[in-house]
Amino acid sequence: MAGLWAALRDVMDPEFPITIVDLGLIYDVRRRGDVVEVDLTFTATACPCMDFIREDIRERLLREDGVGEVRILEVWSPPWTRARISAEGRAVLRKHGVAA
Amino acid sequence: MATTLAGSAADLRADVREAVRDLVLVLADSKRLLGFRYGAWILGAPELETGIACASMAQDEWGHARLMYALLKDFDEDVDRLEHARPPREYRSMEVLDREPDDWAGVVGLNALADTALSVQLAALQRCGYLPLRQRVEKLLAEEQYHRAHGMAWARRYAAATPAAREAFASVARATLPPLLAWFGPQDGRGALLANAGICESAPDELRRGFLALVAPVLEATAVAWPVAEAVPLELDGFDEVRRRRAGAGEGPDAETITRVRGDRNRDFLLE
Repeated sequence: MAGLWAALRDVMDPEFPITIVDLGLIYDVRRRGDVVEVDLTFTATACPCMDFIREDIRERLLREDGVGEVRILEVWSPPWTRARISAEGRAVLRKHGVAA
Repeated sequence: MATTLAGSAADLRADVREAVRDLVLVLADSKRLLGFRYGAWILGAPELETGIACASMAQDEWGHARLMYALLKDFDEDVDRLEHARPPREYRSMEVLDREPDDWAGVVGLNALADTALSVQLAALQRCGYLPLRQRVEKLLAEEQYHRAHGMAWARRYAAATPAAREAFASVARATLPPLLAWFGPQDGRGALLANAGICESAPDELRRGFLALVAPVLEATAVAWPVAEAVPLELDGFDEVRRRRAGAGEGPDAETITRVRGDRNRDFLLE
């Protein structure tokens, strides 16, 4: 699973200069054969970047060896809060003048 | 409350399933219309900051509507039809959302009163026995806390302003409260079914009391009519429990409103 998490670290949030993993949007990643399932949340229910994020995840994971299908499950529990941003993510945001 | 959680709509008893589906559609349609009403005032609000708040609240409401419509797939509903192909008379949005507010006091009335009523209903679903709904509620309520703060702040501004301004809000509140109190439904109807089935934590009378407790301070400050519980008649004769509308409340939003809410003229650009 570490490889999949590392791959997801290549996917940037479309609005903030940090990865979707550091932003805390990924709740779980599972692999069954050539199928990868991702539990994904969003910062807001009306996030305007939902389709971009889904497409970027799909495109990146399909480049991993042996991955033939990516299923993305939208989850809302527990709800995302700023507390889910990683320490590394906070440091990057601070550098860009964004308080988190 | 239910001792077991239903992981999907198929796990619900048939009568409960129907009542939950109807409740979800009521919430979805109401939030869609409320978002549209907020959106119409982005450029008409008294201050730039509050216009931006309207934009933000509209965005939230449409996000909530999207989540609620999507949930109806679990009930084997044709979500595309529900979102894009229903005639206005099938909409289940709140009566108070049928018409665009005449003025800013009317927008504040929707914000402080109607939006709060919706959140009271949502809050009673936090321990809902139907898991997919329960899992969405907390996020919606987290976003709604800002709507309430905004609505109440503006209602207090009306209360502290000139007698004419105070009366403008009081007039809105007097017109808005009867349909909103009725909206929670009769105590012994579907609300009781949902409460007994562990879907909704409170029956309608308790929801009404909870709503009034939240809005009482601003109503009292604007001298609307106090004590409200006794002063506002509960108009439930002939109440339509599916659409949650009072008898004689009219058909619902007009065709032009629904055309705009659905984005009919932009349908060719829909990607999904």
